[in-house]
Amino acid sequence: MPEFSSQPFFEIARRLEIRGENGWLAVLSPATDSSAGLDQLQADLRSVLQKPTRAIQLQPSTFEELREAMHQPDDDAVILSSGTSLTQEKWRSLDIMRSALERKGPVILWLSPGDVANLTGYAPNIRSFIGASIFLAGPDGSIMTDAERQERLNDLSQHFGFTGDEAVRRAEAGESPHEPEFVEWLVLLGRGDLL
Amino acid sequence: MTLERARELAEALDLKTDRELDGLQLGPPHEVMSQIRAYLFRRSEEMKTKNNPIQLLRFHAADEFTQIDLGPSFDKGSTSQHFHFDSGARLSFGLTLREVERRSQIVSYRYEFVFPDGQSPQYLRFDLNESPHTDPLAEPRCHLHPGIKDVRIPFSVHNPIEILDRIFFVLESATLRSR
Repeated sequence: MPEFSSQPFFEIARRLEIRGENGWLAVLSPATDSSAGLDQLQADLRSVLQKPTRAIQLQPSTFEELREAMHQPDDDAVILSSGTSLTQEKWRSLDIMRSALERKGPVILWLSPGDVANLTGYAPNIRSFIGASIFLAGPDGSIMTDAERQERLNDLSQHFGFTGDEAVRRAEAGESPHEPEFVEWLVLLGRGDLL
Repeated sequence: MTLERARELAEALDLKTDRELDGLQLGPPHEVMSQIRAYLFRRSEEMKTKNNPIQLLRFHAADEFTQIDLGPSFDKGSTSQHFHFDSGARLSFGLTLREVERRSQIVSYRYEFVFPDGQSPQYLRFDLNESPHTDPLAEPRCHLHPGIKDVRIPFSVHNPIEILDRIFFVLESATLRSR
């Protein structure tokens, strides 16, 4: 499999925005937790493109169902999800109906890594819509690292003048300070259950 | 009007805050995070000062709770983790969400806008506490710190983007005009 650029969903959405209204691109889903990844991609597409976003399952949609779904409406953002890998025959069918898939709104193919070879081999016309815009779902650059969490915990302990253990004890005793920072402290300690 | 009556009204206001929080319709935490990131990204594009919202925003999820932070938990001076405005002002915030049935409830927040050096007031801070205070007159659950220590003015509940609207389109705009 060729090397594809790994990008966070937010960056992928930005690239689609730059490509214009009816751009096409493909995203290779992460090997684990593809469903959560699809949710996050939808959220970033909605936020960046400021458009409604739908996910449509390619399998088992029929030709007619797919055409109708793509055009009603035809100006929102649509994610075509391959689910588990599509058969070669299904890719061929999709390629034949490529004109029916063209629409005003952007289209994102959500593929499993095994789909890329089939896309190239059996759906050359769809592949040409996408061009070089195939991306690997990359890690979100905004996830707090353990080091950053620890630094915040140290700042919180210094500000309040007691340890994390004491913070938990006070929360358990119903003696929590009211500041939002104390809530943040409990969440970063993994003790949101005490709220 | 007595102090007792003032406290009763303050308690009623906290109850209203509870109802307003119940009425907020927010998507799941990752969607709230995405909206904030896109919002800050869009605002950044309109400014001369460079900020990288992807790097500045921090997201931490633990069980049903999510913490979204920008900048330090306590403002002790300008840092590279703050969001910096063209006026010279800076922003930090922390937002705690609880996920319930694929939606977010706001648990608490703090948004601190620090004006450029030498300006009075020095800062404005929008706070939502997790629970009511025993003295809601002195500390309403949702309040504004007008830059004076221990003074808290009642403030209506806003969703996270609406607070940013006030900061970008009101506070920053006024600060720029006053320079």
